[in-house]
Amino acid sequence: MKHIALVTLIAATAIALPLFIGENPYIIGILISVLMMAALSSAWNILGGYAGQYSFGHAAYFGAGAYTTLIMLTLFNTLNPVICILVGIVVASLIALMTGSIVFRLRGHYFGLASIAVAEIVRLSVLNFECTGGAQGILLTDISLWGLDLNSKNPFYYGMLLVLAVTLAITAYLRRSKTGYYLQAIREDQDAAASLGINLSFYKNKALLISAALTSVLGSLYGLYIRFIDTSAVLDLRLSIEIILTAIIGGVGTLWGPVVGAILLVPLAEILRSNLLGEALVKAGLVSETSGIGIFLKENLAHAHVLVYGIITVLCILYLPKGILGLYRRKQ
Amino acid sequence: MSFLQPLLSGILTGGVYALAGIGMSLVFGVMNISNFAHGDLMMLGMYMAYFAFTLLHIDPYLSLVLIIPTAFFFGFMLEKLFINRVIHHPHQNQILLTIGLGLIMSNTALLAFTSDPKILTTTYSSSAFNLPGDISISLPLLLSFLITCVIISILYLFLAKTSTGMALRATSQNREAAQLMGINVAKMSAIAFGIGTALAATAGALIAPTYYIHPLAGHSFLLKAFTICVLGGLGSVVGAGVGGIIIGVVEAMSSTYLSTDWKDVIVFVLFLAVLLLRLEGLFGKKGGR
Amino acid sequence: MIQHLLHISHVSKHFGGNVAVSDVSFSVNEKQIFGLIGPNGAGKTTLFNCITGFFPATAGDVIFDNKKINALRPDQVCKLGMVRTWQRVKPLENLTVLENVMVGAFSITNSTGEAEANAMEQLQKVGLTDYVKKSAGSLPIGLKKKLELARVLATHPKMLLLDEICGGLNHTETDLLLDIIRGIRMKGATIVFIEHDMKAVTSICDRIVVLNSGEKLAEGTPEEITSNPDVIAAYLGGGHHA
Ligand SMILES: Nc1ncnc2c1ncn2[C@@H]1O[C@H](COP(=O)(O)OP(=O)(O)O)[C@@H](O)[C@H]1O
Ligand SMILES: [Mg+2]
Repeated sequence: MKHIALVTLIAATAIALPLFIGENPYIIGILISVLMMAALSSAWNILGGYAGQYSFGHAAYFGAGAYTTLIMLTLFNTLNPVICILVGIVVASLIALMTGSIVFRLRGHYFGLASIAVAEIVRLSVLNFECTGGAQGILLTDISLWGLDLNSKNPFYYGMLLVLAVTLAITAYLRRSKTGYYLQAIREDQDAAASLGINLSFYKNKALLISAALTSVLGSLYGLYIRFIDTSAVLDLRLSIEIILTAIIGGVGTLWGPVVGAILLVPLAEILRSNLLGEALVKAGLVSETSGIGIFLKENLAHAHVLVYGIITVLCILYLPKGILGLYRRKQ
Repeated sequence: MSFLQPLLSGILTGGVYALAGIGMSLVFGVMNISNFAHGDLMMLGMYMAYFAFTLLHIDPYLSLVLIIPTAFFFGFMLEKLFINRVIHHPHQNQILLTIGLGLIMSNTALLAFTSDPKILTTTYSSSAFNLPGDISISLPLLLSFLITCVIISILYLFLAKTSTGMALRATSQNREAAQLMGINVAKMSAIAFGIGTALAATAGALIAPTYYIHPLAGHSFLLKAFTICVLGGLGSVVGAGVGGIIIGVVEAMSSTYLSTDWKDVIVFVLFLAVLLLRLEGLFGKKGGR
Repeated sequence: MIQHLLHISHVSKHFGGNVAVSDVSFSVNEKQIFGLIGPNGAGKTTLFNCITGFFPATAGDVIFDNKKINALRPDQVCKLGMVRTWQRVKPLENLTVLENVMVGAFSITNSTGEAEANAMEQLQKVGLTDYVKKSAGSLPIGLKKKLELARVLATHPKMLLLDEICGGLNHTETDLLLDIIRGIRMKGATIVFIEHDMKAVTSICDRIVVLNSGEKLAEGTPEEITSNPDVIAAYLGGGHHA
């Protein structure tokens, strides 16, 4: 009962948030990023956290959605974006089926390596093909959807929120269902799982398909939202790693872990990237804007967010491998 | 153009790849860890060679005398401080830890050295000599290859003849059994990681005169090094040597006869093919994680 | 006509040059408790692995319930009604005891409620009801063995292959488990039982096959086996007490 009340409260807050913020596009932008990363990481969590199959190549599905959508809209600019999203799901699912048939035969190190290799093949292919815009990427000028004002960020806020809600609902349902128990059994011990009647490759592929389809929807939304994509934005290994890292920090294999991870990591990255920290230090009079340190901070702090990600990853694996929610669960 | 040209340059480049692959394979064999920071360790080697050349005016090939011990020590400490703490963790945690360390290295380099690519130009950087049949061989490539051969030979002798080398191989074959025989496996891990790092840095230094030196330069070598290891059988030093040459030749051939753009794709496809063909029989034998 | 539920016909398994199982044949009748014994390394576990699809036999046939099952995967074998336990127990460590058994139960139902009811029933049978909410990884070895048993029972198998289910247990625990196994047979299941402890085996089995170095050394009733000089030699040579 307490649980339901809490979830309702969180949902209500999330829905009402843009009303309080009003028309501050900067803050809404950050919130959209938080929702997107939370949803991406939750989708990854179905495969990585519950089934224990750490995919290091989820950017491939995100990119599949983004590229499919934007390519279709450049070709036919009157198309309803929802159709593009659906086609994106089909493309991502095809890639997932191909990936699954290769990587799920492998275990341990090999699985992780193979998932990277598949994603890199996708990235390099997109980079080398003509229709994808190659290294230039794709720029989309104009879209319309049911008369919504797509130049405002609010529709995308609610779009991402919806996908996050759906992802969490699917996860919550799966956890208490046969499939969810089977995925966890596979994570814990594949031989034991197989001996109890679990068709390993069927259930792994099922988890991968669900995860890839959701990831692709998020890719499509991202493409519609930003309207410019290239391989480094949507297909890079770094994106795959950020997705995993978000889940790890929050708590792998927990329902809310990815959300917690995104709430912590995304704003942190934003603070570093937009040099808010540097400005704050200057404002506080701690460093002078024209001093060597000041200039260094100004010019380089944007790079530092990946460095900070690296440091957080290392600390997290060493000291908090079960994530923040894992810590909480252990205390219970 | 003759078929021999890409074959020859492929073999020469492949030698350096082999060096990187052997380092990774050794680490994998002894510690059973996939080191995702390997490419970034190569990148550090590139910068070491670059600064030895620009600041200390030491020839990049000569600077190996400094780079190898420095890198060994660095790797040894990395293992002592970080890696050994996850040696009994699930693979994915080990992978993430080394990814994290790699991100720290590459982004520290980005902060320290900026993202502008550096070029190490020696007097002989672009010299080449011609063989009969219209084949030209780049001098730095040939030098790198020869140095690689020397280093691999020394490593081979070390592993085969010294007691530390034999202890490393024993640990690689069966960690538990080695421990029961009284081998200090924790020390072996640190030594293996030190050697792996030294080999990565050496490979980096050797290619420094012919590549752009850049904080993210290691990334494209990481997956190549994995491919090489898997090709040769993870953990096998000789296999990694052969694997390196094969990758070098495949790359050179596909650049010549297909297109430069697709050569990496071909390497990854090869990687997956090898994974599947070689490991088919392993499926189901080992425990779940 | 006698009904063979399981028929092993000239099964061999090689690991490279190492012959783990060599040309072994025997048949298990319905509702039998069938013992498979032999010194360490005799090939008992390997034979279980071949029967249940974990690795294919190098040669020979496995017939279960009149179907040839050589080429089936472990999960398909389980679906046919044959399920095995593990000598080195394999609990799903981060799941609770109840959830472990539910995973077994899901092989015959899609409903979480039914799976839970079935799991509780099995936990009752083996006496683990006090540990329902505990994580499986936290149990002591004796209880992990019981959990293995409850988990396979939840699949409602026709045949259970038990690999040293009493290994590492004390006398009272062993006797308790043997009683449970007798009860399972009473309900109509067939059991193949790998065990080291000769006393346990002879007290419970209807028929016994002895393996030694991968080969079948003897087959017969417990009385025949305990008086067989080859078996005594192999067992005493192997350092075990009858
Ligand atoms: N996966 C495997 N790979 C190689 N050899 C194996 C494997 N499994 C078992 N063996 C070998 O097969 C033989 C029989 O082992 P096992 O079936 O475990 O004996 P038992 O269960 O009777 O003690 C042993 O020599 C063992 O080393
Ligand atoms: Mg055994």
